[in-house]
Amino acid sequence: MFGTLDTTTSALVAQRTRSEVIAANMANSNAIQDENGENNPFRRRLAIFSTGDPATGSKTGVHVREIAMDPSEFQYRYMPDHPLAAKDGPHAGYVAFPNIDPMMEQVDMMEAARAYEANIMVAEATKSMIQTSLRLIA
Amino acid sequence: MINGMFDSGAMPTLERMIQFTGRRHQYIAHNIANISTPYFKPIDLDPKAFQHQLAGAIERRRHTGNPQRGDLELRSTRQVRVRGKSLEFLPAETNDGILFHDRNNRSLEHIMQDLVENTTAHRMSIELLKSEFDLLETAIRERL
Repeated sequence: MFGTLDTTTSALVAQRTRSEVIAANMANSNAIQDENGENNPFRRRLAIFSTGDPATGSKTGVHVREIAMDPSEFQYRYMPDHPLAAKDGPHAGYVAFPNIDPMMEQVDMMEAARAYEANIMVAEATKSMIQTSLRLIA
Repeated sequence: MINGMFDSGAMPTLERMIQFTGRRHQYIAHNIANISTPYFKPIDLDPKAFQHQLAGAIERRRHTGNPQRGDLELRSTRQVRVRGKSLEFLPAETNDGILFHDRNNRSLEHIMQDLVENTTAHRMSIELLKSEFDLLETAIRERL
């Protein structure tokens, strides 16, 4: 039964990490400049989950396998007077913005929050089962 | 186990039931933990198949010389293998959910229903076992 709490905790950790990734995406949704001053916008990150929990070596549970980059194209906005607008090439006069849709991020965040809540429910159920079992010997 | 004391009446049945619900709870927790994992297929134990297995063992004990006493002799099934006094559980992948575009076969409502049912069954078994123990205690004390 205590192993079940490990499973639930692994899910809580994974969902929290996912929320942090989404928060980072939202925070950087207008970050268009890199450290060298170039128009190199922030690329959307995605938390990729996989079964099993390497922290406990258990086959049950879940963990974040990697934080992957979203390969989809950046959003280009026509802003010819912008200091970072491309001078030439196919995107001349355009400024690249991150490939982040705040609506999508909000939906993902809601999903992560609901999944977190579902796992809290499981933890509560596990606790009540352990307490009931302990009543046998108490 | 003291023969005639801890293997009489419903005690062996309740013991097996608690083992089953305890293990099934682990699989349900695993399914909920992986609600957002791509390509994940939920795993579960079939409670109806286990009830049939348990009913068969009770029926066999009923036809022995002492129908109210003695350990239950379960026969192995596809998901529950009998290994001496212990049980080995082999959960199966369930395919009753809608396959989402991330290839996860989740159905949160069904999983939560299973969680509630399983928790209730576990609690009920523990309470019934506790009442059996209370009866024993009363008999030992010879006082109500």
